[in-house]
Amino acid sequence: MMLRMRIVKRQEPLGMWGSCLVLISALVLAVMLSGLLLWIGGTSPGGGIAALFQGAFGSRWALEDSVVKAIPIFLCSLGVAVAFRLKVWNIGAEGQFALGAVGATWVALSFPEWPKPLLIPAMIVMAMAGGGLWGFIPALLRQKLRTNEIIVTLMLNYIAILVLDYLVYGAWKDPASFGFPMTRAFSDQAVVGKIGSTNINWGLLHCVVLGAGVWAFFRFTRLGFDLKASGDNVKAAKYAGMPYDYLVMLVMIMSGALAGWAGFLEASATVNRLQPSIMVGYGYTAIVVAWLARLNPLSIGIGSILLAGLRVGVENLQLDLQVPAAFGGILEGLILLTVLAGGLFTHYRIEQRKNP
Amino acid sequence: MKVLKALVVMLVLGMAMAAYGADKPVKVGFVYVSPIGDAGWSYAHDLGRQAVAEMDGVTTSYVEAVAEGPDSERVILNMARKGYDLIFATSFGYMDPMLKVAKQFPKTSFMHCSGFKKADNMGNYFGRMYQARYLSGIVAGAMTKTNTLGYVAAFPIPEVIRGINAFTLGAQSVNPDVTVRVVWTKTWYDPATEKEAAKSLLDVGADVIAQHQDSPGPQEAAQEKGVYSIGYNSDMASFAPKAHLTAPVWNWAPYYAKVVDSVRKDNFKAESVWPGLADGIVDLAPFGPMVPEELQAKVNGVKADIAEGKKKVFAGPIKDQKGTLKLADNTAATDNELLGMTWFVEGVVGTTE
Amino acid sequence: MNFEITVLLLAAAVQSGTPILYATLGEILTEKSGVLNLGVEGVMILGALVGFLASKVTGSPLAGLLAAGAVGCVAAAVHGLVCLVFQGNQVVSGLALTILGTGVANYIGTGYVGQLAPGFAPYPMPVLSQLPVVGTIFFNHDPLVYLSYFIPVVLFLFFSRTHHGLNIRAVGENPAAASAAGLNVAVYRWFGIIGGGFFMGLGGAYLSLAYTHLWTTNLTAGRGWIAVALVIFAFWKPGRAVFGAYLFGGIMALQLRLQASGTQLPSSILLMLPYALTIVVLVLSSWKKGTSDEPAALGVNVEPAD
Repeated sequence: MMLRMRIVKRQEPLGMWGSCLVLISALVLAVMLSGLLLWIGGTSPGGGIAALFQGAFGSRWALEDSVVKAIPIFLCSLGVAVAFRLKVWNIGAEGQFALGAVGATWVALSFPEWPKPLLIPAMIVMAMAGGGLWGFIPALLRQKLRTNEIIVTLMLNYIAILVLDYLVYGAWKDPASFGFPMTRAFSDQAVVGKIGSTNINWGLLHCVVLGAGVWAFFRFTRLGFDLKASGDNVKAAKYAGMPYDYLVMLVMIMSGALAGWAGFLEASATVNRLQPSIMVGYGYTAIVVAWLARLNPLSIGIGSILLAGLRVGVENLQLDLQVPAAFGGILEGLILLTVLAGGLFTHYRIEQRKNP
Repeated sequence: MKVLKALVVMLVLGMAMAAYGADKPVKVGFVYVSPIGDAGWSYAHDLGRQAVAEMDGVTTSYVEAVAEGPDSERVILNMARKGYDLIFATSFGYMDPMLKVAKQFPKTSFMHCSGFKKADNMGNYFGRMYQARYLSGIVAGAMTKTNTLGYVAAFPIPEVIRGINAFTLGAQSVNPDVTVRVVWTKTWYDPATEKEAAKSLLDVGADVIAQHQDSPGPQEAAQEKGVYSIGYNSDMASFAPKAHLTAPVWNWAPYYAKVVDSVRKDNFKAESVWPGLADGIVDLAPFGPMVPEELQAKVNGVKADIAEGKKKVFAGPIKDQKGTLKLADNTAATDNELLGMTWFVEGVVGTTE
Repeated sequence: MNFEITVLLLAAAVQSGTPILYATLGEILTEKSGVLNLGVEGVMILGALVGFLASKVTGSPLAGLLAAGAVGCVAAAVHGLVCLVFQGNQVVSGLALTILGTGVANYIGTGYVGQLAPGFAPYPMPVLSQLPVVGTIFFNHDPLVYLSYFIPVVLFLFFSRTHHGLNIRAVGENPAAASAAGLNVAVYRWFGIIGGGFFMGLGGAYLSLAYTHLWTTNLTAGRGWIAVALVIFAFWKPGRAVFGAYLFGGIMALQLRLQASGTQLPSSILLMLPYALTIVVLVLSSWKKGTSDEPAALGVNVEPAD
């Protein structure tokens, strides 16, 4: 008699505790696999994993660093999630982030003397406009000319980064930078400051407000409801007379504006100027986070901190044990794959099947 | 006699031990902008680190692929917190972040590569690579038949522009008719694009390909076409033995050893230093067999002159691409002018944007 | 720019389009079965590294090429495992595969940077390379370029003329109907994923064994993403993929040649050309109401039957 497995659909999806158990098992599996890799590479797996978590969450500093890094990921991811709600595949957060930083920088460099209560909102508005524009273009092409938004947003990412390059290598270059590609440092009024004595900037508060706002928008407003309905069933929504074209453009502008906001915070709060190295791929990380979090703002917050912590922790792993930077990618990839695969157990269970 | 010998040995050993005994153990951290696997800039620095790690009482570590900006500040800060005694940051964009950290950790020594800002405990250093570039330009200018040289370059930043200018001046010193064509790749390591850039230069008639990239892609293109090339960073002869004339190369190890030793002996000084050929921090790789003996001798002669300070690479009159006089007769460029160079000399075809 | 340089430009277009072409064709094969694999970049870079290492160890570029194809299959199978067996989301799984593949390749490859491996040298086709213009453009390359000429034809015939090719399309269009008609959906999807991974691996190996003969960190430099975009651009048609890959490679080569011939345009603007023109061409062709072969069930998992 042979034992065989078969997959059976659960009557009800796994509850919260069950889901947590699956998630933790997946993380443990990923950590064990990467520990194995460390061991093969001649590093103590236990020490390696400890160094990683120590560097990510093991001290006040580490925790602060992880939160700071999570802020741009969270906002980009929130933006991506808004578009995904309507099944519009915006993978252009990276470019929208860049244009947001460009828009905010333009204000900061043009009106450095404005008082802070005027300058910061103006920077935010221009950042949202820049990011929103970069979201609007693919939406317009998609609805009017039936052009695939995945390819347009992807191509626009490359173009946005080159626009940023063009400006910082050219017109916006700081005369005192000895020719290096960076703008002048922002005036104090253009800088979003830090919370108390911590290293975390007030961008964290922006995240909380925007996250709650997006959640409330989909839950309590008519427009939000229409959007969700259209996302669930495009044909039905069109049939019900919803202005689908308009909705798509709206979500893409919102989506881009949120990523643009992240670009503003990165330029204003953490770098205090615009330079090409602010582009480190947050826009792509955001897609992964949004999917794993099933587009839920709170889960997006948790996912952002996890992935940010991973990136920060890997530096500690390098410093203490001289493990190559690429190890971070391996661990990140493994975690994503195992968590994803573990999702199966939320809706299914595995049974032994007896052969007749 | 034997006793005497033993005594001498003991004396020497004792002195050596006393010398080491006086030195405190030193932890040295390095911050790199790219993975050390890029075979270029960061790799060259890491060779220096490995040499330093061999010194007694010295432990080293590094963090690679650190983006300029907030990431670098965090990495430098964590090194300082972990009690590293000396930190080297090897990219221009690390300057302001390092300065911030240096002010918080007055007992730690900081060294920043390629910048200009300083603090009581933070110095800066660079190598006069342009001197070696000038020498490689002489070789290229003498070897070209078409009078067109190609230059594959990564980003239009002063370090790269300065190198292109020095190369051009070197070539013009032996061949006034020569022009240097520049193609920007906007990437440090993408060998396929770099090779394609070299081919585009070959297509417009260049017959010596120089480069400022982190891979030997351009060398391969030159070899396939049967023309010459000038490498960079390290000796690239093995990648294109038939094409490789020479290469301006980095050698950070002696300098790093000196700085580490000063920290070990508690006499670190936050200086601005910019050593060149004279100190061996930059040099030329061995000449390929196709470089004639007289040319080798000539280049070595100029090398000696530069090393002794008898010759300056950027000495007037020098005009820019539009023919405007940038450096008057009998004046030499100041270090700040060199550090912030954003214009091409006459004879370069290309833009600095 | 004179005639001779234009011909050389077109030849360069073919060569720089070739790695992208391999990857694009691989992705078309995968997507035709209804599976979206965004891990092309990760599969390619593993192919590049393993091809390089195998060629170095065995001394045979051909062995390297086969090893690259094999590792491409294995890497893509990870995607298959997550999506087909564990019902994971295809978008996230693909992104994760890119992150993982890049990490593994760079981790293992660190020690091999700056080394050479035997690779494919240019081999002008006898007779054909002597043809005016066409000879230079198409028949003055390395053997892997010639190999890439056959694959689109084979794929086209496979999808339009063969039993299994038609079945795979049916699975990508409507898995439920295909299943009802007695087709084993999972087997066809596994074939699409693993077969696609093979070609992606070859695309990576083209970079480390033919275009250049060396390995460095991040060797693929985003070409996998271009391939993902070109599949959509090509409307899932192998023939149009050839056009798309050469167009993209050609504009990349063109902007370098514009610089070499001394244009005054800033390099940032020139580098935008390939991406901007891709959008323009796509807009023009969607406007004209081209017929797309997009599989209707692309990206949708098939739930396991009880």
